[in-house]
Amino acid sequence: MNNSLADKTRFRYPMRWRIMDSLEEGANIMWPKSMSRHTGWLLLAPALLLVGILVIGLVQIGDASFRTLDTSTYLLSENYTGANYQTIWDSSTYARIIWRSLFGAFLTVVFTLLLAFPYSYILVRTPSAMVRKTLLIILFLPFFIGQVVRAYGWLIILGNSGVVNDMLGLVGVEPIRLLFNFPAVIFGLVQYMLPFAVLLLAPALTAIPQEIETAAGSLGANWRQTLWHVILPMAKPGLIGAALVVATLSLTDFAMPAMLGGGSQDFIANAIYDQFFRTANQGLGSALALVLVGIGSLMVGLVFVVFGAGTLGMGAKK
Amino acid sequence: MPRSQKIIFWSLVAISVITLSLPTIIVIGASVTSGNIISFPPEGFSLKWYEKIAMARDLRLALWRSLIVSTVCVLVSLPIGTLAGLALTRYRLKFTNMINVYLLLPFTVPLIGSGIGMMLVFGEWGILGNVWPVGVACAVINIPFIIWSVSSSAAVLDRDLELAAENCGAGRLETFWYVTLPAVMPGVITGGLLMFVLAMTEFLVSLLLTDARTVTLPVQIYNNIRSIITPDLAAVSVVFVLIALIAVWLLDRLVGLEIFLKSK
Repeated sequence: MNNSLADKTRFRYPMRWRIMDSLEEGANIMWPKSMSRHTGWLLLAPALLLVGILVIGLVQIGDASFRTLDTSTYLLSENYTGANYQTIWDSSTYARIIWRSLFGAFLTVVFTLLLAFPYSYILVRTPSAMVRKTLLIILFLPFFIGQVVRAYGWLIILGNSGVVNDMLGLVGVEPIRLLFNFPAVIFGLVQYMLPFAVLLLAPALTAIPQEIETAAGSLGANWRQTLWHVILPMAKPGLIGAALVVATLSLTDFAMPAMLGGGSQDFIANAIYDQFFRTANQGLGSALALVLVGIGSLMVGLVFVVFGAGTLGMGAKK
Repeated sequence: MPRSQKIIFWSLVAISVITLSLPTIIVIGASVTSGNIISFPPEGFSLKWYEKIAMARDLRLALWRSLIVSTVCVLVSLPIGTLAGLALTRYRLKFTNMINVYLLLPFTVPLIGSGIGMMLVFGEWGILGNVWPVGVACAVINIPFIIWSVSSSAAVLDRDLELAAENCGAGRLETFWYVTLPAVMPGVITGGLLMFVLAMTEFLVSLLLTDARTVTLPVQIYNNIRSIITPDLAAVSVVFVLIALIAVWLLDRLVGLEIFLKSK
């Protein structure tokens, strides 16, 4: 009798509260309140360490790039020399590959933006929710399908005995070589980059109120003038962000030149891969990789300095 | 929209739509052909290539490894990216610009550079030849995606809500668990989904970090492509189409695809 009364009067916190309280207590011991000024750094630390793996990797590449390959032992030399960079500088093959990559990236940016702009514009401005959803799904599917499968699809379509040539054959046209040339690589890169470009461009277009276009129109501008003098200047941050991402991704791409270029249209990444896995010259491969990192960073840095991080900054609180 | 603008814009959109979806449609079509090579017009309908890939041990193992890679990638990147995203938006830190540049390194350093760098590092640590380091590598190269999605969710969370919780006696962990985390959940889920699918389809880094015993599915497809294109690879590719369909559907259900059109 007494016992049951005691049970009723003794108040017990729910389990969840007690677990939470003990965790809270533990946290106070591990990370006292006085440290709370540094909590932000505590939360950030794991990410800094994770990206640190990448930084260590870059240091290792840097180290290897200053060692030459000893062809008698197939080991890298102990002493440092700049010979690998000299080799790249002197080589007309690498000059051609670097030039091809830069030119390819430039063409890809132009064509991708040309297609991505109307796509984003319609995506943002269409009054029909159905059209918007359909366009979004068409955009996201390939983004998630991945590069290899998409390139494989194009191999089926454009190959010598592929769909296009089969269709041409039906009307009596001889097969045309559509693959393994420079345009095929550019085409592959453009269709690969399109979703990235649209996703970077669309938010910039959303930020432009439709009233401004209407106002331009009612002041007598035709649509080309509105586009040129109003929309494009206002969408500049998005255009720069998209161009930058497309340029760096296509400059450094491996899969499209490898699969649609068929070995004859190598970009820098393919040359690096060959140095590591075909000729096993880690030193020269590393030097090439650093040259590529250098060209890429130069491009990004230049744009950041001139235009600011634009739409690419993270965690901005503006 | 004026008529001429409509014609020009819509024809450019049509080109985009065709180039975006044609490979997918062709791959699906090629996977159900009854012929031994892919030809046009198709030779008839059969599921024999699916039967064939279901029997192929190397493909099954490669798919299994890809799933492991994706899982490891999410397990590593989800907590790390969530905390970092919160740290960048909810806390006043010094050197924010430098941190931004540092955390964007995975995007600014070319994939071939990061891949080879991690190959050298993992080789030195003696963990190359396992499957899980590929997952860690995928987490490294895609971590900005999840930091982005979490910090954009966190940016709209009213700080007063957290203060109110603490005012009512909630500790720091309780506030985090019951107020902050639920508020940024859409960002966490979006980021996690992106990380999973991107790790699943990651090609170049997988190519660099795997050997014959640890190839993932995209690398297996790449290795199997020969001059004559047989339909069994198309059937494997349909696996990726299915994954993509599920991912898009999930993304639409969870946060709505339209969220990507919003301006910051």
